[in-house]
Amino acid sequence: MSALILTSVLGVLLLYLGLFGQKKLLVPVGVLGLLAAIGLFVMDRSINVPMFAHMVSFDRAGWLFSCGMLVVTVLIFLFGADYYARQEENVAEQYALMIFSLTGALLLTSYTNLLMLFLGIEILSIPLYIMAGGKRDSMRSSEASFKYFLLGSFASAFLLMGIALIYGVAASFDLGVVKEVALRQLVQPDILFTLGCFFVAIGLSFKVAAAPFHFWSPDVYEGSPTLITAFMSTVVKMAAFIGLYRFVGITQMPPTLGKALLVMTIFTLMIGNIVALRQSHFKRLMAYSSIAHSGFLLMAVLSQAPNTAQVLFYYTFTYSLATVGLFILMTLAKRAANGDEHIRIFRGLFRAKPWLGVVMLLLMLSLAGIPLTAGFVAKYQIFLLAIGADLIKTTVFAVLMALVGIYYYAVVIREAFTPSEEAPALVVSPVNLLLISVCGISVVLFGLLPGYLQ
Amino acid sequence: MLLIALLLVPFLAAAVLLVARPDGAARTIALLSSFITAALAILLWVRYPGNNVTLLDLAWMPSWGLRFTVGYDGTGLLFLLLTGLMFPFIIGAGRSEGADRPALVNALLLFTQSALFGVFMAQNAFLFYIFYELSLVPLFFLLLFWGSAVPGRLGSAKAVTMRFFIYTLLGGLALLFAIAYCVVQEPSHSADFNALHALRLPGDVQIWLFWALFLAFAVKLPIFPFHSWQPDTYTSAPLQGTMVLGGVLLKMGLFGILRFVLPIVPEGVEFWRSTVIWMALIGALYAGIIAFRQRDLKRLVAYSSLSHVGLLCAGLFAQNTYGISGSLYQAFAHAVLVVCMLYLVGAIQRRTGTTDLEAMGGLKHRAPRLAALFFLVMLNAVALPLTQSFVGEWLMFNGLWQRDGWMAFAAVTTIILGAIYMLYAYQRVMLGPENAKLPQAGDADQHDHLVLVPLIAVSLVLGVFPAPVLNLLDGSVQQMLSTFTALY
Repeated sequence: MSALILTSVLGVLLLYLGLFGQKKLLVPVGVLGLLAAIGLFVMDRSINVPMFAHMVSFDRAGWLFSCGMLVVTVLIFLFGADYYARQEENVAEQYALMIFSLTGALLLTSYTNLLMLFLGIEILSIPLYIMAGGKRDSMRSSEASFKYFLLGSFASAFLLMGIALIYGVAASFDLGVVKEVALRQLVQPDILFTLGCFFVAIGLSFKVAAAPFHFWSPDVYEGSPTLITAFMSTVVKMAAFIGLYRFVGITQMPPTLGKALLVMTIFTLMIGNIVALRQSHFKRLMAYSSIAHSGFLLMAVLSQAPNTAQVLFYYTFTYSLATVGLFILMTLAKRAANGDEHIRIFRGLFRAKPWLGVVMLLLMLSLAGIPLTAGFVAKYQIFLLAIGADLIKTTVFAVLMALVGIYYYAVVIREAFTPSEEAPALVVSPVNLLLISVCGISVVLFGLLPGYLQ
Repeated sequence: MLLIALLLVPFLAAAVLLVARPDGAARTIALLSSFITAALAILLWVRYPGNNVTLLDLAWMPSWGLRFTVGYDGTGLLFLLLTGLMFPFIIGAGRSEGADRPALVNALLLFTQSALFGVFMAQNAFLFYIFYELSLVPLFFLLLFWGSAVPGRLGSAKAVTMRFFIYTLLGGLALLFAIAYCVVQEPSHSADFNALHALRLPGDVQIWLFWALFLAFAVKLPIFPFHSWQPDTYTSAPLQGTMVLGGVLLKMGLFGILRFVLPIVPEGVEFWRSTVIWMALIGALYAGIIAFRQRDLKRLVAYSSLSHVGLLCAGLFAQNTYGISGSLYQAFAHAVLVVCMLYLVGAIQRRTGTTDLEAMGGLKHRAPRLAALFFLVMLNAVALPLTQSFVGEWLMFNGLWQRDGWMAFAAVTTIILGAIYMLYAYQRVMLGPENAKLPQAGDADQHDHLVLVPLIAVSLVLGVFPAPVLNLLDGSVQQMLSTFTALY
């Protein structure tokens, strides 16, 4: 509870620092604040204690996700020191908005009331719409911001409509009551309730970029500042998935909704992986890869086994580590290549900086799911869950799609290990080197010892 | 501890090479490491008590069935020995002069060796899978960095590498799915081979699960019609890479069939047996005919390996004492043969500057000792009695005969085809009038003798006296067959 308050205050504090022109203090203060929040979470033993008048309650999964998101945000903040080094104006706003967005994400991990779900989504999203347009002089960035805002508002409207319908049946926003109603629905289905769940699921699928609600993600990923793209594909994804997982768990998934989600899963896997094959622009590639990973995660959401939340956490957290590392690498390579974002900017990376080449290899292998990296353990667990839930054919399909995924990751790896005539002149600051190394080493470490993320 | 040492020695040596990049001393360090592992493998053999040994069992990720369980039985020991004994020659085959980044090459080779040891000692399906996939990563780079273009469509080294990588991973992922399925079905969610072998899945499940399990190994071996990556990859890969692929790596396929397919889905095997055997035999015949038409010596070796491998798989699926022992025995012989053949291809290429058979001829006049070595290797390749290949092929032939006369007939035909294309290749390279256009080349030097003579000696000795290897296999094969016959 104190952690929630701390993050809200931290955002305001960062705004004030910006107001008084203390640009140098932003990152240290932000990181210290986030570390303090992690500390509060670790000290806090109030698991499963209802807070704020039964609005929020952290269970074990919510606790794990919250800590994970805070850690990832710390990494992004540290990267931000370098990313915003040459920008003088509006830096504080970016950081503050990110913290606000994070606060929304924390609510999504722990909501016990449908209103809190809506609030969480909105607090998460509205700063994101602004952040996507962070490069004010870039058309692409403005386009991304506008597109995201417009489509996001539609999704929020669906979400609200769904919540209203569920309220119409259950006469309460409280998830405890909704759960009882949902149990009764299994015997005596009510079309309004099913429709309500369906609408909420649509609103949440928009956030996780599941097909057919994924159209925004490549454009927004491409147009946004890379730092924000990294935030969107990691923290936002984690938050949206824990939100969706809780919702699906509580409403017990009316059979029709279950089928709809299954179809969405299959489409997401297919579109994400197949379209990624044709991408040569790195950020778009990462966007489609993110959609593809959403497909795998949806399989876990569908299974609803006792350890699903743990698997989701393991998957999203290790995915986030790999993604943050890759986006940092990409920013460095992009600078060396004068703003190009084609995957050829990685050519010759291994020759120029062998260690960065190796780390890139590790991160990519983790995304592709090759053994001894965390990505492999994550995928394997998803397959186990899905087979346990009797989704055999979907699993076979997912396995095939994982193979397609390996191809486009291998193309990037191949690029990094192909020697080029002119080696990329990468300038790596010590902090960035540390961040990239931490990401690379941790995906291997968590792959070898996954027990530490339980 | 010996097993752990087998895993670690090549791994650490590779890590040293990778970090320090001592290009001058790279080959020496790699050779030293491979001699140590060879000695360790032999020590393992000497100490083998004659039954299934589990040496180490550590919990790793027990909730998903993964335990770090390593051990071996007779068949596992055979493959461990094979890996241990082949690598000194494979590494030795590399020339120190004029090598491109030798530290990196040798590091990648040693990484592969470490992963291969892992595969052959794993007693847990999941652990097996991890090592199985890991063996692929160093090869990916070996092919990517040192592969040469193959003439024809899709022929660039990059394209060949990707095709190999994707093909093999397709099989690997099917295997992963099958393992996950079995682990979910297994009551205690264990992935230990003992637990999985005791699993009795319903018949209809076994029939489709068979393919999920078999696909990985069918691609790895490869069996017709999953072979289309093989000729290009073998041709494109650097010589040492092809030696690893053909000599040792594909044996993972046989070992996998032995560990997974035969014991876990016996009803599936019963159902698909004749289909698989015929697929393998058709592939063997087809590759034999194509090998005859090849102009490129390295490609000819690739197709000849494809033909031999078809026979190995058929022998294994005959699933009787003769068939399995023969197949495993021949696996050893084939490794020796492939390394010898490829070494000769390299030696000939160095002397003539080409691997094109049309451009060669009469090399015997200039390099009589090389011709003699080639001749001895060829005797092994055509399975002449008193060579190692003869023993294996004779046993497999017997095993197939017990199943079906026509299968045995097809098997014999592949052996005859093998004799034809090998003799024809020898004739075109060594005999006939001397080709004046070829550069002046020296005879076999000390390096050639050091690599080839021990291997030829092994193939002749084990051809006359096969008992040591057959005894090693006997216990494990009998035990496996008895559990199988107890079912039916």
